[in-house]
Amino acid sequence: MSDTLKPILEKSPAHSEKQPQKDSPFKRLAKRIAWDRPLLLIALLVLLCIFMTLRYPEAFPHWDNAAAVLLDAAQGGILTVGMMILLVSGVFDLSVGSTMAFSGIVAGVVVKDFGAPPLLAFLAGILTGTLVGLINGTIITRFRINALITTLAMQGILRGVAQLVAPSGVANLPQGFRPFGQTMIMGLQSPFWVMLVVVLVAFYAMSRTRYFRQFYYIGSNPRAASLSGIKVDKVTLVGFALMGTLAGLAGTMLASRLSNAVILAGVGVELRAITAAILGGASLLGGAGTIPGAFLGVLFMSLIQNTLIIARVPVFWQSIVVGVVLLLAIGIDQLGRSKR
Amino acid sequence: MPETREQINRVSGPSPTTIPRLSVKNVTKSFPGVVALDDVSFEVIAGEIHAMVGENGAGKSTLMHIIAGVYQPDQGQLSIDGKPYAPEDEKAAQQAGVAIVFQEGSLFPPLSVSENIFAGRQPVTSLGAVDFGRMRDITKDLLQDLEVGIDPSTPVALLSPSQRQLVEIAKALSQKVQILILDEPTSSLTISEARHLFKILHRLAERGVAIIYVSHRLGEVFEVAQRVTVLKDGKVTGVREISKTTPDELIHLEVGRELSFARDPRLPSSDAPVVLEIEDLVVPPVKHASIKVRAGEIVCLAGLVGAGRTELCEAIFGIRPILSGSIKVNGVHLLPNHPIDAMNMGIGMVPEDRRDAGLFLAMSIAANIASANMDAVSQRGVISKRDVDRLAQSSVDTLHIATPDIEREVMFLSGGNQQKVLLGRWLARKPKILIVDEPTRGVDVGAKADLYAILRELAQNGVALLVVSSDLPEVLALAHRIVVMSEGRTVGEIDANDADEVKILQMATPKSGVREGGLE
Repeated sequence: MSDTLKPILEKSPAHSEKQPQKDSPFKRLAKRIAWDRPLLLIALLVLLCIFMTLRYPEAFPHWDNAAAVLLDAAQGGILTVGMMILLVSGVFDLSVGSTMAFSGIVAGVVVKDFGAPPLLAFLAGILTGTLVGLINGTIITRFRINALITTLAMQGILRGVAQLVAPSGVANLPQGFRPFGQTMIMGLQSPFWVMLVVVLVAFYAMSRTRYFRQFYYIGSNPRAASLSGIKVDKVTLVGFALMGTLAGLAGTMLASRLSNAVILAGVGVELRAITAAILGGASLLGGAGTIPGAFLGVLFMSLIQNTLIIARVPVFWQSIVVGVVLLLAIGIDQLGRSKR
Repeated sequence: MPETREQINRVSGPSPTTIPRLSVKNVTKSFPGVVALDDVSFEVIAGEIHAMVGENGAGKSTLMHIIAGVYQPDQGQLSIDGKPYAPEDEKAAQQAGVAIVFQEGSLFPPLSVSENIFAGRQPVTSLGAVDFGRMRDITKDLLQDLEVGIDPSTPVALLSPSQRQLVEIAKALSQKVQILILDEPTSSLTISEARHLFKILHRLAERGVAIIYVSHRLGEVFEVAQRVTVLKDGKVTGVREISKTTPDELIHLEVGRELSFARDPRLPSSDAPVVLEIEDLVVPPVKHASIKVRAGEIVCLAGLVGAGRTELCEAIFGIRPILSGSIKVNGVHLLPNHPIDAMNMGIGMVPEDRRDAGLFLAMSIAANIASANMDAVSQRGVISKRDVDRLAQSSVDTLHIATPDIEREVMFLSGGNQQKVLLGRWLARKPKILIVDEPTRGVDVGAKADLYAILRELAQNGVALLVVSSDLPEVLALAHRIVVMSEGRTVGEIDANDADEVKILQMATPKSGVREGGLE
């Protein structure tokens, strides 16, 4: 910036902008919590935990139950990280559930039918997800078909292809394939630790690295992003490839954990992942949301699920509750937008 | 324009005894934390075109919204023809004969012109069905009256901005209008289209319509209006007869300080190296363009809307595929496939539409400035928040961006400050070439003076500037050299010393007869 500009502009008086009025400290705290999505979620999580501890002291406040909640959050967490990155850039992926099932089946077929080494099969499962993501991303960026339609179509196609490859799944996976999803470390199963690594790496990437900050610019205004030198299509493609990879990871790990690659794996997970991300502060308009938000959103969803199970609420209610939570989260988001 | 002057004279000055068509008396209106209008009084007489000028935030829009029934005043009265007028909503205002044509179109693009004009009040047959035939006929008459050759069944989406503007006016006229309010009507029109609009306004005034003309462009105000009211910070600072005032006086009333839009006497040296050289460039719809820009030179691209100026800029910046011809930067060929290629050669571009293509509206000033400066604010791919903040703060300081802090989202800034944020983004890259498309569109007069000063300083520092502007006084004030485009071709150059509006217009007007999508 040239310093010579200074003297020229010194004459113009800086226009003053109106400052917001001051509130009482309590009102400020309440506002802060209402606006700051992670804080709001932490508050809700704490309240829910206190309520459950008082209401179900026999079932809720135990290490086994906590481990179950965290294991449930593991799969959701891995998927929601990918979904959050996509939502930040203004798109989403509805095919993640089918990608999970397909990746698990591929890994199962490779390890059981081809007799390949377990690690190779595990990688094959993950890369299957990457490939699906690349196909999604290519269709969306190259052929300009929107993400909703492309991934909805892919959802149907992959579920069918999975059945084509292994009509009834791949049961009884060999012992060597099981450690990926069944190893216990410090009292928690391996998927949780994998999820933790994914969340931490993504948190760092999305908040600090130049490459991942590009998603925020793209979601906020793709035209302006391109005019700022960002390769919008390429970065979007990478976003879908990442989502696919994470779905592949989640699917392969699920197959390993169950010792069984199931055709119906991952049905409905896209609903939960999108709900968790929106809860965590993502907006369907793009440009907003954080990884800690996504993680807390997932934790919240898992805790709700746990609550319903402990309270012996019939299974179909879980689906209803997830849908209602999604609508509420979007409603809160809209309300916040219109108030600003 | 001799023709319009005559028309003004024909509409002889209203006698002082006439009851004003619209009278606003001592109106005050506050919004939480801000007094938008403070004891404002204002009158328009039937048959008069009354201009309303003032900076952004001066209260013009609030006043117009009160007249149009959108807001109700906290204090004060309005009257029409001496009778009290207190519309509780827009519908009541419409019934009283008040029509407002907004800056941003309020049209339904997929629907036809006639459906737009009769939106919500379509004529019906005795069976209760919409009477499309009658709708078409009335629309046809209205459009003929405005001398617009548009078929009433054309979807509005297919019309040019100027045609849409005229449809909005036709919509107003279809409702027996007595008071017509136009808010920045020419912001998307070319000069000839604006002239056509002025002609129509004069004709409407002759029929006794009172017209309130809100505009930033003083040149137009002097061309179209008989009287002018100036607002500053919610107060009226002056009412003047156009024939008895000067632009300088109006600017002084608007901003309360002296601003000069005279040409910069400092000229670039004639032997400065050519930084940007475009030869025989073909980029549909640009058919043939050749331009040279020297270091330290401001070259303005003048021409009508649709002449291909914006498209030419986009091609240089890598947004449009180039069919043939060459772009050279300091003698090195540039064939950009993406803006990043142009940026790596030292080119920056502030686009025409800052909200759609320039800014990340929901993001902070800091993030907006950092967007094209990732190299400067990161090490090995990791962003340093400190560097981002330092960069943004230095832009805010040097360019005098009025904001409480650099975390403020740019959607809350005024147009002028938004434009400065965009300039800051590019200046931080220290560009050799800066392309600025419509540098001051929708920007108030104070910010305009700042933006001119910034662009001139850049030129002084050796930056080659290519500026597109549809505002002729702006072209004349800024340019060292003017390149005129017409129908996709660069048709000539005028040295700023010999340039005037007539010369530019003569060169810019297409020679091949009827222009596509034109008005006539």
